[in-house]
Amino acid sequence: MDTLVWVIITNAVVWIGLGAYLIFLALQQHNLAARLTQWEMLRHD
Amino acid sequence: MRSLSIVPAMLVLSGSLTFACCQWLIYSYAPTEATMGLTQKIFYIHLPLAWWALFSFFLVFVGSVSYLLKRAPGADRLCAAAAETGVLLSGLALVTGTLWARKAWGVWWTWDPRLTTTLIMWFIYAGYLVLRGLNPPPQRKSLVCAVVGIAAFLDVPLVFVSARIWRSIHPAVFAAKDGGLEPEMKLTALGCVVSFGLFWAGLLWLRKRQLDLRDRLDTLASAAQQQ
Repeated sequence: MDTLVWVIITNAVVWIGLGAYLIFLALQQHNLAARLTQWEMLRHD
Repeated sequence: MRSLSIVPAMLVLSGSLTFACCQWLIYSYAPTEATMGLTQKIFYIHLPLAWWALFSFFLVFVGSVSYLLKRAPGADRLCAAAAETGVLLSGLALVTGTLWARKAWGVWWTWDPRLTTTLIMWFIYAGYLVLRGLNPPPQRKSLVCAVVGIAAFLDVPLVFVSARIWRSIHPAVFAAKDGGLEPEMKLTALGCVVSFGLFWAGLLWLRKRQLDLRDRLDTLASAAQQQ
C-alpha cells in the first residue's frame, strides 16, 4: 500500500477513536440531562 | 461558575482546529525524513498521544495521593476522568505505533521494552477502569481505587525510560544529544503536542464535570430514598 495512504489511515484511526469518545461523552451528557429533568419534575410535584 | 461552562468545549474545539492547522506544519513545513520518508509523519500524531497519556496517568497518581490524604471525592472523580482519557490516548498511541512499525520495521508488533511496558501499562489502567465500574460501597471503592492508582503508576516512569535504559529499537528522539530532529521537525512536534494538549484538557474537563454531576444526582437520589 502507498505510504501516503498508510499515513492517512493512521490519521483516520486517531480521529475515529477520539470521535468515538466524544460520542460516548455526548450520550453520557444526554443521560445526565434526562436524569436531571426527571429530578426537577419530581421536586416540582 | 456558569461562565466557565463553555470552556471545556472551547478547549476541545480549539484543540481540533489547531491540530488541523498542524497538518500544514506536518506535510508542508517539516522536511521529509531521509530514511523513513513519509512514514515518519506518523510520529507527529503518535508522540502527543503518548505524552498526554503518560501525563493523564500522572494525574491519576496525584489524584490518588490527594484522595488518600484528604478523602476529597473530587480527587477521586479526577482520577476516574484522567484514567479514561489516558487509556483512550495510550490505546491510540499503541495503534498508531503498530501502524508505524508495520511500515518502518516490517512487523506489526515486537516485544521491545518500550512497546511491552506500554502494553502492560494499558492493561493495568484498563483493569483500573474495570475496577471503577464495579459496585462496592462508594467510599470503599474510592479508597481501593486510590491505592491501585498509586501502585499502577509504578509502570509509567518505566515506560518513559525504557528506551533509554534497555536496548530498544524504539526511537528516543528527544533523549539523544543532537535530538535527531531538524529544528522544523521539533517545532512541528511541539505544535502537535500543544494542540493535542488543548484537546486533552477539554476532554478531561468535560468528563470530570459529568462525573461531578452524576455523583451529585446519585447523592440526591439516595437522600430521597432515605426520606
